[in-house]
Amino acid sequence: MRPAQRSSRRTGSMISSARVPGSAIAERLMRAGTLLRAALREIFEESAYARFLARHRIPNSQEAYAEFLRECESLKARRARCC
Amino acid sequence: MSRLVRIFAWLVVAVAGALALATIALHRGEQINAMWLVIAAVCCYALGYRFYSGFIAAKVLALDRRRATPAERLDNGRDFVPTNKWVVFGHHFAAIAGPGPLVGPVLAAQFGYLPGTLWILAGAVLGGCVQDFVILFFSVRRDGKSLTEMAREEIGRLGGLIAYIAIISIIVILLAVAALIVVNALKASPWGAFTIAMTIPIALLMGLYLRRLRPGKVMETSLLGFVLVILAIWGGQWVSQNASLASWFTFSAPALAVVIIIYGFAASAMPVWLLLAPRDYLSTFVKLGTIGLLAVGIVGLRPTLHMPPLTRFVDGSGPVFAGSVFPFAFITIACGAISGFHSLISSGTSPKLIRHETETRMVGYGAMLAESMVAIMATIAACVLQPGTYFAINSPAGVVGQSPDAAVASISGWGFPVTAAGMHALAQAVGEQTLFNRTGGAPAFAVGMANIFSSSLGGQAVMAIWYHFAIMFEALFILTVLDAGTRVGRFMLQDALGHLWKGLGRTSWYPSILSTSALIVAAWGTFLWQGVKDPLGGINSLWPLFGIANQLLATVALCVATTIIIKMGKARYAGITLIPLVWLVAVTFTASLHKIFDRNPRIGFLAHAQLLAGSPRPQGDAVRLIFNDRLDAAVTATLICLVAVILVESAVEWRRVVGGRKQAAVKEAPFVISRLAEEEG
Repeated sequence: MRPAQRSSRRTGSMISSARVPGSAIAERLMRAGTLLRAALREIFEESAYARFLARHRIPNSQEAYAEFLRECESLKARRARCC
Repeated sequence: MSRLVRIFAWLVVAVAGALALATIALHRGEQINAMWLVIAAVCCYALGYRFYSGFIAAKVLALDRRRATPAERLDNGRDFVPTNKWVVFGHHFAAIAGPGPLVGPVLAAQFGYLPGTLWILAGAVLGGCVQDFVILFFSVRRDGKSLTEMAREEIGRLGGLIAYIAIISIIVILLAVAALIVVNALKASPWGAFTIAMTIPIALLMGLYLRRLRPGKVMETSLLGFVLVILAIWGGQWVSQNASLASWFTFSAPALAVVIIIYGFAASAMPVWLLLAPRDYLSTFVKLGTIGLLAVGIVGLRPTLHMPPLTRFVDGSGPVFAGSVFPFAFITIACGAISGFHSLISSGTSPKLIRHETETRMVGYGAMLAESMVAIMATIAACVLQPGTYFAINSPAGVVGQSPDAAVASISGWGFPVTAAGMHALAQAVGEQTLFNRTGGAPAFAVGMANIFSSSLGGQAVMAIWYHFAIMFEALFILTVLDAGTRVGRFMLQDALGHLWKGLGRTSWYPSILSTSALIVAAWGTFLWQGVKDPLGGINSLWPLFGIANQLLATVALCVATTIIIKMGKARYAGITLIPLVWLVAVTFTASLHKIFDRNPRIGFLAHAQLLAGSPRPQGDAVRLIFNDRLDAAVTATLICLVAVILVESAVEWRRVVGGRKQAAVKEAPFVISRLAEEEG
């Protein structure tokens, strides 16, 4: 997370304490939803692909995805699945 | 919250947990609700996490938030990436959650629900979670090094070699057992075989969609694949009802074994990523969804447990597998309590994603608690079945008899009434020809899960759909473990053989790929074939072997952890890993000695071989069974010898360090102040 985002989050939490409880719950739920989505994106390697695009500074395309799959093939192939 | 309120809240949790445990342990002669198991588990996990892992984090490991992790120092946007702790938690849990915590507790339910539940709770809180947590932390302190590398550096070259052999052994035996579970779940089941066969074109379609239409949209593609799989399950009932179509998808156990062996080889040796990668995603999607659904189902429906807390089979005469509650309950349930395999994940991808050292507690200890909860849910799924039904499904024909009448007579004779008509009606309800002798745990789990869900969602009318959904989930899940495991084994073999001859170490050289793939597949294929041909169902001999191999790896991990704790100058706290280690050694040694030397031919490999050899002119199947028994005995003996060697080597190292004959120095990466921690305050 970037410093700007972090500081806005801190500010957000200060403001939320003064808000009505309903909106605070909604905010928490939103945050939980965002985290869940981020976890799923990591598990399903969507985040890894986004990082790949950012690292190579290329847009999303069939070729870019094929290249990403090639790059992570050897890494994934060595990753054990638990019993 | 004030200190007083906090203390009161934790006291309430402790009292609720004690009450739930007392209810589970002391109720005799009447059925209890599954919620008691859930409450006991949640309270034990909460207390274990808050206090025990807190103690380990503060006093033993002294987690330091100011110290930069490898994810921060070596951040390359690929494998080293500082990641949010909840995201790493999800990633780690998805990697450690396999079929083990579902199958082991179902098999151990033959002792009743009590031994398995107590072991899952105590084993996880005091052993499994500690192992995962400390290994993750030590790997983070060593730039994400693997267990084998840490064993070599901290214990010695022999330690590294034993870790390597343990990993290869466990992979081979795990794959054989996993394949046997699929075979037993899909044999003579056209519906199940059709659904699994359909995942191949579905995965290919997903692959095309992912590459051509929506590059990188994996979650969307997995959802699409999931919808198609549900349609395939729905369509499976027409296949099973159509005589000519059903004959295409009806396989005997040996035929299925051959298909799976060919599949394993192809997955390892051929460029079939178009099929495997989307199926891997689909499997993960279904796995997380089903675990969530099962949790909601159990809490929402609060089913009653029909299995007694203890059965007569604690004495070792059980039909599912032979052997008394100690040590076999502790070998049978590995993944939900303590699993050596987790140490590979804790020293694999996860340490490279941890943003702050302090987060290893939540990821390592916390994710294992979640895995343990999955094992509790599997126990519940098995124990909601009527005991007679449970034993009819899980008992091999070699124990209860070939015909339904013989089986119901044997099982009813044990005090667990069941009728052939009742079993036939149940088989009809779930769309199977028969549910007798469906060993391996998966069908019993599927019937239990279908039982829970069909009591509210769709009723009896959709019981068959729920059953085949559960079978598809387990088979898909296991096939993913199978193809990934074969590839990992192949790479490990190539790495090792590369030291003998460079060509064999080249991972992209086809002769090397083909020969090492063939070696790995032949190794697990031998055990699979042995299991398929075993009149006792195969699980009786292979699952304990798998448990022993898995606990051997846990022994290696705990030896490494204890050595590092002693070298950190914290010998007074070494008990946190030493006590689980001593317990595991006791369990592994006792189980191994029973499996090799027990005079009961249903338990001891050598006694069984002797019994067969004693028959007049043993030939054909008998000769092969004798060979299999001797092979199993030799493998078990090798495994315990390895345990003994690594224990002695570790103990020598501990003595040197504690006695001051060796400097207590750990091989950690140098301290670098964390920029991320400073920024976050």
